[in-house]
Amino acid sequence: RRCLISVDMNQLEESFQEIKRAIQTKDTFQNITILSTVETLQSIKPVDVCCVTKNLLEFYMRRVFKDHQELKPQILRRISSIANSFLYMQKTLKQCQEQRGCQCSEEATNATRIVHDNYDQLGIPSAAIKSLGELNIFIAWIEKNHQATSV
Amino acid sequence: DGVAALPAPQNLSVHSTNMKHLLTWSPVVLPKETVYYSVEYQGEYESLYTSDIWIPSKWCLCTEGPECDVTDDITATVPYSLRVRAILGSQTSAWSILEQPFNRNSTILTPPMIEVSQDGFHLVIELEDLGPQFQFLVAYWRREPDTKEHAKIVRRGGIPVHLETMEPGAPYCVKAQALVNAIGRNSAFSQTKCVEVQGEALPL
Repeated sequence: RRCLISVDMNQLEESFQEIKRAIQTKDTFQNITILSTVETLQSIKPVDVCCVTKNLLEFYMRRVFKDHQELKPQILRRISSIANSFLYMQKTLKQCQEQRGCQCSEEATNATRIVHDNYDQLGIPSAAIKSLGELNIFIAWIEKNHQATSV
Repeated sequence: DGVAALPAPQNLSVHSTNMKHLLTWSPVVLPKETVYYSVEYQGEYESLYTSDIWIPSKWCLCTEGPECDVTDDITATVPYSLRVRAILGSQTSAWSILEQPFNRNSTILTPPMIEVSQDGFHLVIELEDLGPQFQFLVAYWRREPDTKEHAKIVRRGGIPVHLETMEPGAPYCVKAQALVNAIGRNSAFSQTKCVEVQGEALPL
């Protein structure tokens, strides 16, 4: 059984929409991806979902949000909102993961390593901008894998 | 330069009810002067990972009153640090920081106001509109021996919601509580309100 997160996904998506144009216009590497192609995430097996979610939350919090230097207050506010929501998710997921286990298979570890490699190759600040612009992919992944289906 | 330092605001505190969060402080009083204030915040993420970054509050970059609505700043269920300083012309005071970080899961949740009415034989409720974070659990029953209580989740306030088609002969009673998923809490139940439909039962 998967770990559910009670986070206001609408607010997360709204925050992303508010930063999307400002961030994506700064992205000068349009044909490169950090989160790899959606197919890579789609190919993750249910048993690996927990590990990939945990690793990607860590990736965004320890690297992306830290590496991105934002000057516009309204963009900064939205990124802060997302970052603190991710922190809350990490905390609530941790409790569930400790009860149910959250093993990392080789595939899950590889998928995460690809993300970090892509990030390293692109380098800061471009990689941070690119990853912020791809938040919608990760938010959709969280919604699909960690939200109770809304009635 | 002999200019007395502008005193920093004191007694910061947050009053939070129904997910509306108001930061207040004691005003800095200077004769014949209007003192302004600036508010900034840091979520737990910033204090853990980017502690030098403070974010200007959305509504209180330069505000006159000794209070600031920080509802739009506090957007996650983690502790937030808040700070305020006074501004007088080109002078700014030191920052005063809220003694205890504020977490919105401590907000006071009040029982929702409800309006119960009948539209012909239909039992209708309208709940207080408390904003997008709120859903409501509505309980309703026909007041007679061995009655069964029904429950319904209402996703938004401010709009009439049909609960049931009533039959004459006994009152129908309703109560409701507010639910906030984002903080995993709910309010107490509201008062119970009852209505009774008169006349003949509806033809089958």
